[in-house]
Amino acid sequence: MPGTGTVNRTLLALWSLFWLLMIVVSVADHRDSGNRWWEPLLWEGSSCLVATGWLLLQRRAGARWQGLLAEPRRWFLRHIAWTPLLAVSFVISVYALRHGVYALAGVTYEHPGWAYVFCYESLKITLFTSLWLSIIFGLESFARWQQERERLLTLQRHLAESQLGQLRAQLQPHFLFNALNTISSLMQVDVARADALLAQLADLLRASLQAGARQTTSLREELELSRRYAQIMQARFAERVTVSWDVAPDVGDAEVPTMLLQPLLENAFKHGVELSREPVAIRIAARRGDEQLHMMVRNSGSRLAPNGRSGIGLSNCRARIALLYGDRARLDVAEEGDGVVATLVQPWRSAPS
Amino acid sequence: MIRTLIVDDEAPARDKLRRWLSEPADIEIVGECGNGLAAAEAILRLTPDVVFLDIQMPGLSGLEVAAQLEPATTPQIVFVTAFDEHAVKAFELAAVDYLLKPYDKDRLVKSVDRLRRRDPAAASAAVRAARRRTGTSERLLVPQGESLELLDAASIVWLEADDNYVHVHTAQATFMLRRTLADLLAQLGERFARIHKSAAVNLAEIKALSPLFKGDHELELRSGATLRLSRRYKDALFTRLG
Repeated sequence: MPGTGTVNRTLLALWSLFWLLMIVVSVADHRDSGNRWWEPLLWEGSSCLVATGWLLLQRRAGARWQGLLAEPRRWFLRHIAWTPLLAVSFVISVYALRHGVYALAGVTYEHPGWAYVFCYESLKITLFTSLWLSIIFGLESFARWQQERERLLTLQRHLAESQLGQLRAQLQPHFLFNALNTISSLMQVDVARADALLAQLADLLRASLQAGARQTTSLREELELSRRYAQIMQARFAERVTVSWDVAPDVGDAEVPTMLLQPLLENAFKHGVELSREPVAIRIAARRGDEQLHMMVRNSGSRLAPNGRSGIGLSNCRARIALLYGDRARLDVAEEGDGVVATLVQPWRSAPS
Repeated sequence: MIRTLIVDDEAPARDKLRRWLSEPADIEIVGECGNGLAAAEAILRLTPDVVFLDIQMPGLSGLEVAAQLEPATTPQIVFVTAFDEHAVKAFELAAVDYLLKPYDKDRLVKSVDRLRRRDPAAASAAVRAARRRTGTSERLLVPQGESLELLDAASIVWLEADDNYVHVHTAQATFMLRRTLADLLAQLGERFARIHKSAAVNLAEIKALSPLFKGDHELELRSGATLRLSRRYKDALFTRLG
């Protein structure tokens, strides 16, 4: 991934080339003008030394303005604001250096009057600073753009994978065929009930087909779907399961990821009811607290897998909430009493109506 | 009469089978079970001719139930499953009779017609397919009074053949199974080795070997018991023990 490291390396290379060029040009220009050989070296070298100090300062302190890369005007203004200080400190340190070295060599450093020097050097520094700020801005923007693009691509890939997984998880053929068989049995004896189940199954299918297109929905809709799913499962397992709902009255409008509750409920049936010979109790609860939405699906009669691995359903749920809410949402699955409880906590947001 | 047992953990699924299977005059429904263990017990107790066996059930799956049966004496099995064709292929059930949920009456009638022909080869094929799928059994169903108990295969010390029965010895108790030793060994796999025409031992239970006359050896077990290793099985056992 391109980052500060790449920017710094490129900048160092350009900076070295630039000063090499300045020194070579200066030495060539003054070769025949009667100066001592080291004088052009000292002039450019001192400038280079002080300017490098300022560049290092920019590299360290400028990091805090990286967030402004999207707003070039503000980014430049923040930097340009330092130019007066830069100019004054530059002239003072550079000329102090030069006078010092000349004094050591036992000669006088002759230059135009201080007013002229100050104006001339300030102008040069302003131009020079603008040039290098533009280069730095260009390099950093490019690195940022590359990072951004990388992140977007990853995000898109994750979203696509998650959506695929989502569809796979929902259209569980096993669930579908069992439900159809239940209906096929019921319609011989109770046409109205078979008809109702068929409609519920159709609702579920429709919702699972749509889920790929919509990332979030309201908790009210999600619970409605979960109820349909639970009703079909109850028709299949009749006496072997009781399902209770404990939903606070004020949570219906909360935004939740589409078809997130359903896989948790599916797990409760799969590991609780389908694998247990005893009657199983399933409880679904939702409440609001501390600007968060708390949801819970609990089933009796099962243990967690001893190896601690979670199934595709759970890891898919975790991937989805991580994409949508980052680390502000979490999904925990733990053993509790005689069963297993899945707890989902996510930031409270109202679903668009 | 075709004596038939219905096994499914979902009541509506059992209702459907019972309703349609009640129609042919030559089918008698002898029982219904809602889980694998009850099914295994009912198969032993009722000795049905035919079992309609759901695959996914709590406790013991339909495949595990079938894997515990002896090919030579098994009833005919029709697996009933909500898995799709793809999964059925993976289960290698193609050679045996199976119904995919939801099935219609015609499909069930076809199954029943096939059952009337009573093909013993198809019956044993079902057990073999189930065993291939479930692999070496880690659990063995043994009769305990009136019911069946699942025994951890590792807890079995040795197996002793006795006419049509096998005595299964654990450290605590002995169970009697109406199976052949050869078939039981085929089901339990690598854990056990023959030491005699009518005995096999859990390899992990062997403590020491000492030579007797004529190439026979005496096996000392961790439990303190001693068994005779016949020279016929000596080389095979030595190879297994490395």
